[in-house]
Amino acid sequence: MRWTTLSVVVLLVVAGCSGGESSVPGAAPASAIDALLAKAPVAANLPAGSAMARIRERGELLIGGSLDAPLLSQQDPGTGELTGFDADLGKLLAKYVLGEPKTKLVISTSETREPLLANGTVDVVLQTYTITPQRAERVAFAGPYYSSGQAIAVRNGTDGIAKPADLSGHKVIAGANTPAIAAIKAAAPTAEIVEFGSDPECLTALRQGRGEAYVQDQALLIADAAQDEDLRLVGEPFTTDPYGIGIKHGDDQFKRFVDDWLREIQKSGLWQDVWRNSIGTVVTGEPPTPPAIGSAQGS
Amino acid sequence: MSHLPALVDGFLTTLALVALSFAGAFALGLVVVVLRIAPVGVLRAVGTGYVETFQNIPLLVWLVLFVFGLPEIGVRFPLFTTAVVVISLYEAAYVAEALRSGVNTVAHGQGEAARALGLTFGQSLRHVVVPQAARRVVQPLGNIGIALTMNTSLAAVAGVVELTASANRVNLVEALPIPIFVGAGLCYALLAAGIGGLAGLLERRPAT
Repeated sequence: MRWTTLSVVVLLVVAGCSGGESSVPGAAPASAIDALLAKAPVAANLPAGSAMARIRERGELLIGGSLDAPLLSQQDPGTGELTGFDADLGKLLAKYVLGEPKTKLVISTSETREPLLANGTVDVVLQTYTITPQRAERVAFAGPYYSSGQAIAVRNGTDGIAKPADLSGHKVIAGANTPAIAAIKAAAPTAEIVEFGSDPECLTALRQGRGEAYVQDQALLIADAAQDEDLRLVGEPFTTDPYGIGIKHGDDQFKRFVDDWLREIQKSGLWQDVWRNSIGTVVTGEPPTPPAIGSAQGS
Repeated sequence: MSHLPALVDGFLTTLALVALSFAGAFALGLVVVVLRIAPVGVLRAVGTGYVETFQNIPLLVWLVLFVFGLPEIGVRFPLFTTAVVVISLYEAAYVAEALRSGVNTVAHGQGEAARALGLTFGQSLRHVVVPQAARRVVQPLGNIGIALTMNTSLAAVAGVVELTASANRVNLVEALPIPIFVGAGLCYALLAAGIGGLAGLLERRPAT
């Protein structure tokens, strides 16, 4: 009896965490990315001895990234396919270097990204890696390839939080190891930050009243709100987070190569197509103007 | 090192977690071990059930259940309290087993002799069993204390900003994972060495 009750509780929690939905946000039909890959460019000649030449020799691009970031880099539980904005860019980059979209994902975290790059375990990190001058001292950043921002979400019926400064004195939920923590500290120094490991956990905590607001990347919050009628976004993003592609520190040749590729796919409209297939499935309107390469301090 | 205050805060939170959880685990462990060696079958079953339940399900699962599961049925504690309660409940099972192993080292005849002298269960525990068992459980309890210290790092997933979580926060800004986490690791090693040393002192304490 006791075990039955316990299992029911476990199942309820698990169901709560997964949102009870089987659909994966940002999961475009596989054919969409195949069509993009078909017209994706391939680099003409790679200088001998360069990082690109070594990757082509190896036959696959090693990418540091995530399996659980909706819209950005999430594994479809049904097909095992990685979908999302970062994931698709990774496939396009692999095609550019290798001629075919052969990638291998190495799960990286904010604790391991820099060592993984430094010791050559991965070739690039594509993981909503915000470019900052401090990080640029240890990592080379190509890009920025996307400009995002932190936004605030609250439950329906929450009053008194209309702008970032209103977070002062409130309990604010944020994802552990996300730029949200620094953003909250800067906008509302007296806010009490409560961290949880993943987006579903943060949403559960918000629903259970462990905080009055949730600060997270706007695209993720829009995806969450699309599945949850009780969630409401407040105001516009209040930070600018330029995401860069992490590359081994000091490898200017590889960085320029990736920058050139980013410029090329921005110009040809591939970047916009990738956006439509991923973030554009929940954010309405036309794709934004991609950030200018090299525009972020540290890129 | 503008981040030192944050790391010190994290370390102090870890210390508080260790001290409160160990106190809770010890108190509860005592109750559980008394149940486990009680002469009444029902009580023994309750004690065994407790130990099996908590030893056979990982601490992380308990944390997630208490942090996210209990609020679903309307029970919500502050996160720090939740972490202390869960770690105490979990480690109490191990404390109880360590204490029981100490009790088992007391020769069976001693208990029978105590009964033959007409001592009650409580009296035989107090005057015969516990004094002999106590010194033999110091080292195992020290090891449980060390394991508990390491386990407090799991409280980071439950939103408690202890040493691991604060190291994570600092690393997010500085992007220097190796020195930061080596430093945090040294703090844990220091705590563990302290607990081990304390256990050694207690064990060598002259018999009273």
